[in-house]
Amino acid sequence: MSVLLELRDLGKVWSIARTGESVVALEAITLDVMPGELLILLGPSGCGKSTLLQIVAGLEKPSRGEIRFPDRNGSQKLTSMVFQEYALFPWRTVTENVVFGPEVRKVPAAERETTARRLIDLVKLRGFETRYPHELSGGMRQRVALARALANDPAILLFDEPLAALDAQTRRVLQDELARIWAETGKTFIYVTHSLQEAVLLGTRIVLMTARPGRIKRVIEVRLPRPRSLTRRAEAEMLETLDDLLRDEVKHAMEAET
Amino acid sequence: MTASLARKIGSALFILVVWQALVQTGNLNELFLPAPLSVLKAMWALTLSGRLPWAVVVSLNRVVQGFVYGALAGIVLGLLAGAIGWVEDILDPWVASLYPIPKSALFPLFLLWFGLGDPSKIITIAVGVLFLVLVNTMTGVKSINPLLVKAALDLGASRLQVFVKVILPGALPNIFTGLRLGAGMALILVFITEIEATKAGLGFLLWESFQLLETKDVFAGVVTFGILGVATTWLLQWIERRACPWARR
Repeated sequence: MSVLLELRDLGKVWSIARTGESVVALEAITLDVMPGELLILLGPSGCGKSTLLQIVAGLEKPSRGEIRFPDRNGSQKLTSMVFQEYALFPWRTVTENVVFGPEVRKVPAAERETTARRLIDLVKLRGFETRYPHELSGGMRQRVALARALANDPAILLFDEPLAALDAQTRRVLQDELARIWAETGKTFIYVTHSLQEAVLLGTRIVLMTARPGRIKRVIEVRLPRPRSLTRRAEAEMLETLDDLLRDEVKHAMEAET
Repeated sequence: MTASLARKIGSALFILVVWQALVQTGNLNELFLPAPLSVLKAMWALTLSGRLPWAVVVSLNRVVQGFVYGALAGIVLGLLAGAIGWVEDILDPWVASLYPIPKSALFPLFLLWFGLGDPSKIITIAVGVLFLVLVNTMTGVKSINPLLVKAALDLGASRLQVFVKVILPGALPNIFTGLRLGAGMALILVFITEIEATKAGLGFLLWESFQLLETKDVFAGVVTFGILGVATTWLLQWIERRACPWARR
């Protein structure tokens, strides 16, 4: 299978205008993303995993290095983002939010409607089409955001801690939903999280990142059958391994801060 | 709910009845405070003679024109200044220095520059409305969550599409706040500009009646201004509910 996305020696340096300092957010990120993966970017907060996602999305420019989609040509955008804070347009109904992408790309109205109906069914929001975001629960809002991101039919969906703002029960339900939608759509997911459980439950590969500067510490294949459960032994063992690795990093991050 | 309404109506009726009684028993001089029924009668007479309707038409023409010009300019400049840094830089010294000036203080200058006719009055009203709408529109643009702009760009929107589909609707509730304040300002300014140097309008009718000591007619003018104020508020609220159905109020 050919590589979908190549990251070559990516680096990002933020300069803080007030103090004149510069902070290395990302360093020497080299990674190949294969089609159909559910790639987890896991790391302590401040490790630059969100920055990496923004760079892949084209919303931030890397300070150095290259980002390539080898098999694609043309300028059509290949990624869509799902944000932690949903970022839904409050003045648009569920359907109007979902069709935002096709609308700005001037897709004919009839086609937009078909897409909206299909995706609203996929994320199980039928009956809520004419609701405004403030009339929905957090979990439902994130379903809308997911449908909106899928509406552009991107090759890669980018998730920036999408479930971090939700309560534990809703998060659990949506984790299963995301796994189902990943399997049903066959899309490539790049998924940023700081939750070990989420990484083990969802990922096909886990990229463990270090803190400040954000580097790749370890890449771990997860070859566990689905549906996964954290109460099973294989999952529990993987969780423990990750926990040890991550704890080191958090410690380093905290030492660096003091 | 109904008890609350009853108290409100009761309060209004109570004052009106006491007021009417005080006049009829000779405790209040109608020259200073005409009774409610006398005011109603005066309004009816002014309406039949055509003076009051004509005054309302003349004033409303000035108010609506001034309001529309001022509001349009305020919305456009406010959106641009809110969204584009260098536009804000260019406008900032003018807004900062002109905003605090009572716009009625500019009326003499506008009289000098644009003559005694309608234009000087309309411009005064427009300027008063403009600043309120501009400042509120700008606040609205700046209050938009930057993440929404990011999401729109991520979904493939162009700069222009972000402006039309994110900035404009995002600022709309604040724009309406500006419009409501602007409508109030327009009524204040139309009165002030109609005191002097004019021969028509509600302000003129009110002020002329005062000079002739026709206190009933002064009250008729005041009540009419009140009705216009309430009507414009209702109209704007009605439009806002349709334009911003998502905004909880």
